[in-house]
Amino acid sequence: MAEMWISMGPQHPMTHGLWTLKVKVDGETVVDTEPDLGYIHRGVEKICESRDFTQITTYCDRLCYASANTWSHAYIYAAEDLLEVEVPERAEYIRLIAVEIQRIASHLMWLGAYGPDIGNLSIMVWCLREREMMMDLLQELGGSRMHYNFPRVGGVKRDLPYGFAQRARAKLKLFLNRIQEYEALYDESTIFLVRSQGVGYAKPEEMVNHGVSGPNLRAGGVNYDIRWAHPYSVYSELDWAPPVERSSIKGADCYDRYRVRVEEMRVSASMALQALDKIPGGADTHYEPEDPMILAKAPSRAPEGTSGAHHFEDSRGESMFYIAGGGEGRGKQPYRVSIRSPIFITIPFAAKCMIGYKVADIPAIMGSFDPCIGETDR
Amino acid sequence: MGKIISESVQKEAAEVIVNSISSLEGVEAEVVERSSGTNPRNVIVANPSPDSWRALAEMLYSDHAIDYCSMITGIHWPERDDDRKWEVVYHLLRTGVRDPPSEDGVVQPIIVNPSTVRGFGTPVEIEVHVHLPDSRTPSIDSVQDIWVGADWNEKETWDLVGIDFDGHKGMRRVLLPHETPRGYHPLQKQHNLRYHGFEEMYDDSQGFMRKPDDVGKIK
Repeated sequence: MAEMWISMGPQHPMTHGLWTLKVKVDGETVVDTEPDLGYIHRGVEKICESRDFTQITTYCDRLCYASANTWSHAYIYAAEDLLEVEVPERAEYIRLIAVEIQRIASHLMWLGAYGPDIGNLSIMVWCLREREMMMDLLQELGGSRMHYNFPRVGGVKRDLPYGFAQRARAKLKLFLNRIQEYEALYDESTIFLVRSQGVGYAKPEEMVNHGVSGPNLRAGGVNYDIRWAHPYSVYSELDWAPPVERSSIKGADCYDRYRVRVEEMRVSASMALQALDKIPGGADTHYEPEDPMILAKAPSRAPEGTSGAHHFEDSRGESMFYIAGGGEGRGKQPYRVSIRSPIFITIPFAAKCMIGYKVADIPAIMGSFDPCIGETDR
Repeated sequence: MGKIISESVQKEAAEVIVNSISSLEGVEAEVVERSSGTNPRNVIVANPSPDSWRALAEMLYSDHAIDYCSMITGIHWPERDDDRKWEVVYHLLRTGVRDPPSEDGVVQPIIVNPSTVRGFGTPVEIEVHVHLPDSRTPSIDSVQDIWVGADWNEKETWDLVGIDFDGHKGMRRVLLPHETPRGYHPLQKQHNLRYHGFEEMYDDSQGFMRKPDDVGKIK
């Protein structure tokens, strides 16, 4: 049969954002793919070159609307490396709580969107119901619903509000009980199992060579995680282990990637609960903004020749920032900010994963890698 | 609790690599202690000459199991000396990930214990700075065939910064539109951000020479 190229996107239910996947098909079989990105390239890296270090956090929030907190934290850790700031331990705990709750919210958004992708339409409302609880908690911390602008160079914007610990514990415990509902909705749905099992195999060594990390990598049966391999924050104080999925000999399929994210939500909720118990000073005390317990003094200039970098475990994989100092106003602004988006690297790999499968498997495979185009195009 | 890797193990692993790669001609390397938040970490910082970068990359991959290319950054330094006008920064990691073995057709996951990990499984972090001389078309050897993860990083670096990679297959624009004029790379420092009013929305601020169909007409 004759081969032909078809274009999925930029407007297509499969894409989860604005991008194009060009697919070469032979009948129903995919024989070649080519992703085409850049539809919402906003030039964040260029904009950051004319902003102060404190102003950049806002732009980093907007890299990914589903996971704003992890992105601003990734930037803040790199900026602290550059400006050589020692962070108070209480602030590190508050950040950990914020990041782990954000990770749950991000995975819930993915879980809710993945069901309708492949024919299980009811799960969306279940997931968004719990995501609402997580967003309420984050709103208490940051003040807004999606783009929190929460961390600061040297600490956090505000301490935990009064009563936050009580509400967070109640909501996280309720959430831990409700995870079984998603599992029931997915694992007992025939259409979900038929469409997600046995498609989109990816092997760990191949994924590492392609730069794929995070939950997508752990679904292959390895427990590599930036949080223990390149430690930051206070993960050493908590009792946790990155979830790993038992995949098949051919590698991780879409079902494994779903399983590992559900388990990761459990681990994140447990980490946030532990952090609430262990936080220095207690979770019920409230320090005023700019108290030395939650915000350390930070210099505002980085001279030329300095640089800061930080690898961060984002909800989608390894995100990182590299910042070179020495920009405008004797180093008041960065000279160059470079952003590593995990999905920018994963999309070409996911596109290769589809080769050999049917056209109908494309949404199942692509969706399972959790694409987010905001961070991809920057 | 020991749920994370210890700093001393990581430092030892980094020193082994530094001693080995310093023997290469044209490569300077050292272990730098940095801090992120409250945790100290040891980063290998290497400064190879442009000619020795490819040899260094091959050595890192084959002798030291550096299996993961995290990010490639291009920087334009127009105010520096002539032999340092361009800089390429590579961030590499060692993940130590292996395909899990299977017993009787059932895959057994590999659970690495962070507190006992040693040798080639130890995660290390490497930062490589390569300075390139002044040129209108700077270029450096590609590492696309060593780490496939470098593929799109290199595409992006050429697209936005204009540093070309010799031996890269399939170089094209990834973030900018395909019809972007040749030689236009927005992260070069001669391009300044400019703010313009709403009436200039279609103005040719970036030199694309694109005009809307209704230019000059009264709406």
